[in-house]
Amino acid sequence: MMGFVIRRLLAAIPTLLAVLTLVFIIVRIVPGDPAMVILGDQATPEAAAALRSRLGIDVPIWTQYLRFVGAALTGDFGASMVTSRPILAEVGAVLPHTVDLTLAAMLVGVAVGVPVGIWAALHRNGAIDVAARLLSLIGLSFPVFVSGIFLLLAFALHWRIFPVIGAADLSDIPDRLYKLVLPALTLGLVMAAYITRVTRSAMLASLSEDYIRTARAKGVPWRRVVWVHGLRNASLPIVTVVGLYVGILIGNSVLTEIVFNRPGLGKVIVGALNQRDYTMLQGLMVIYCFLIVVVNLVTDLLYGVLDPRVKT
Amino acid sequence: MKKLLLALALLAGTAQAQTLRIGMAAQDVGRLDPHFAVSTIDRVAVAWMFNGLVRFPPGSIDPSKMEPDLAERWESSADGKTWTFFLRRGVQFHGGFGELTADDVVFSLRRAGTAATSAFSADFRAFESVEAVDPLTVRITLRENVPNLLGIVTNYSGGYIVSRRAATERGDGFARAPIGTGPFALERVTPNASAEFVAHPQYFRGAPQIQRISYRFIPSDASRDLAFQNRELDINYGRADQTWLTRTRALPGVTVEVFEPGELTILNLDTTRPPFNDLRIRQAVAHAINRPEMVRFRGADVSREAQSLVPRGYLGFTADNGLLGFDLARARALLTEAGHPNGITIRVVHTQLPEMLNGMQVIQQQLRRAGITLDLQVVEHATFHQQIRQNLSPLVYYAAARFPVADIYLNQFFHGRSRVGTPTAVTNFSHCDMADGQIDAARVSTNPAEQLRLWAEAQRLLVTAVCGVPVFETLLVFARRNTVDYGYPLTGSMSLGPLITEATTLRP
Repeated sequence: MMGFVIRRLLAAIPTLLAVLTLVFIIVRIVPGDPAMVILGDQATPEAAAALRSRLGIDVPIWTQYLRFVGAALTGDFGASMVTSRPILAEVGAVLPHTVDLTLAAMLVGVAVGVPVGIWAALHRNGAIDVAARLLSLIGLSFPVFVSGIFLLLAFALHWRIFPVIGAADLSDIPDRLYKLVLPALTLGLVMAAYITRVTRSAMLASLSEDYIRTARAKGVPWRRVVWVHGLRNASLPIVTVVGLYVGILIGNSVLTEIVFNRPGLGKVIVGALNQRDYTMLQGLMVIYCFLIVVVNLVTDLLYGVLDPRVKT
Repeated sequence: MKKLLLALALLAGTAQAQTLRIGMAAQDVGRLDPHFAVSTIDRVAVAWMFNGLVRFPPGSIDPSKMEPDLAERWESSADGKTWTFFLRRGVQFHGGFGELTADDVVFSLRRAGTAATSAFSADFRAFESVEAVDPLTVRITLRENVPNLLGIVTNYSGGYIVSRRAATERGDGFARAPIGTGPFALERVTPNASAEFVAHPQYFRGAPQIQRISYRFIPSDASRDLAFQNRELDINYGRADQTWLTRTRALPGVTVEVFEPGELTILNLDTTRPPFNDLRIRQAVAHAINRPEMVRFRGADVSREAQSLVPRGYLGFTADNGLLGFDLARARALLTEAGHPNGITIRVVHTQLPEMLNGMQVIQQQLRRAGITLDLQVVEHATFHQQIRQNLSPLVYYAAARFPVADIYLNQFFHGRSRVGTPTAVTNFSHCDMADGQIDAARVSTNPAEQLRLWAEAQRLLVTAVCGVPVFETLLVFARRNTVDYGYPLTGSMSLGPLITEATTLRP
């Protein structure tokens, strides 16, 4: 197991290097001058040149690249060009919010999606199945900035149960949990819609297998047939989807973060892109890529746990 | 379950007491170093933390009403080239950084005038020297006269005074841990969430009545409005939009303030390249613009018709400049005269920033009626700024507010020295230079009447040449709960947001 983990982490190094290089090139291809963003529209070319020199973006691109890779390999991502705050501190400040939201949304998605998917599969083409499919289609079709605003209107403005501003104080656990409810529901219900569909089809495939018929013939209780024999064998595609979705959520929950005014990695990435904050973007992408590698690794390890035929 | 949620809500709410909560339409602050504070979100906050030698009275942007700030008085030589400022005694910096001295002022003004350490260095071009005469006296010597020296050392842009010791010790870190003398000090910034400020108890005008400010970054208009309605914000950055204004004014216990400076939107026409190197086509554009219609679109309470290439109310502004009015028939005739009887298509680079894009789309429709088709190339905002400075757009829609003296606007937008694509470029997109003589002469004139005459003449020349078509001016809008009393009537703010002073109060 440990050998597998080490091999996977080593295999991630070329991926990280490729990402480093691609991000470095892409952020510089995009038009827009960080010096102009920082200095504003009244800046003289002299001031812009002085700032470019201070930021180190006036030297040849190869020198910039080597400096960046060299620093990144030592874990030094530098400071944001715009705010001059250290990148690791910036990421450290927002990452807990992203992790909170991702895990909570995953929890909602799995807690709702898996049972509903199983229920729909057990009532194939019946009213429950049709309703579940319709609801999951609605869940997938609703953009989070619409569903989020609806939730805010209902639970914040009408019933006044939750706040509109979802940025919590990290040291205040009740505040953190309280402000997580609506964003987690918004994202989690979309995830639940995906998981419902995947669970339904995986369960349908699983329940038509010979071993299910055998189990029933042996007299195994139906509940056990479904949850142990059926679900366990259907769980690989579900874990795959959850793993992929968690990876997406880490960076792509930006709309939810904006609607609920939460800090988060996605929001920082978009902000850095708008402001042409090269150093911040580069640092963020490396960290993001690393998180994706970790999520994929955990997913692979779960495969081994769920299905002994998968060798780790 | 509901009890648990209420308990969580109560626990979460205890920290909110005595805090003024302000919602701002931005994702994060940039640099809180006052000499790099260029965005609206940064300017608003910097004004709470720093002072200038002089200041605009809170709530006003009238340069003729400047009053003492860190300097208790000042005097100037007969030729207007030597200015002496006498500092207040006992002004304390935040965080135990000691008492303000002339050294801090000299350091700050030199720093603000240096391209490597300031975004406003161009404002200090006329400075020959800044020196400390004694610990409480500063002398500024100018190479040449400037229209408004007090405007350079006021509580605006490069005029803010920083702690020499803090800026030297912290270097680049000063932008995230700034030290000033203002009524509020920065406590911390939570990236993408908020900046927290605490009262400066030793503030020289007296300890602020509000203990804390929570400055919250809420880029989504809908979410910010919901938070304001839900009483999670005391002050809300408003939209210059009539519908928003009317709706917000109807909320109980809420006041909406609309204030100066007005941001003037001009269609800058590149007079050196086709098609706008033909005066008739520039005139056709000018005649095709329907200003009243544009004001109806933006809202009569938040915008007004532009009357010159300098915003209304600025010192030196004149409406007597021969501005061409709306006349579709004349616009079509001019196009025909210029050899375009079937109309003309012009490729224009524009930003995707919603408020600017909406305005441009109205202009696009207005010009289409005259036979002028704008082929809009909509790009991301930073790209827009880069491309318009590379002369990639013959027509540039640009909105800006500046220090309220005609000199600044005329210099940056219509002086030959400021033409984009040159080493001294600022924002002269029209490439006009026919009023350089008047602008330069007004800048160094010591006779106020002569100065006004020269600025008026410059505006007439530029308007006649149709270097740009002024369209409308947009005012600033902020909403507040009536529990907030700024302590002054808010009619203007050079920091582009409400100034929170020692006199500002917040009732429970």
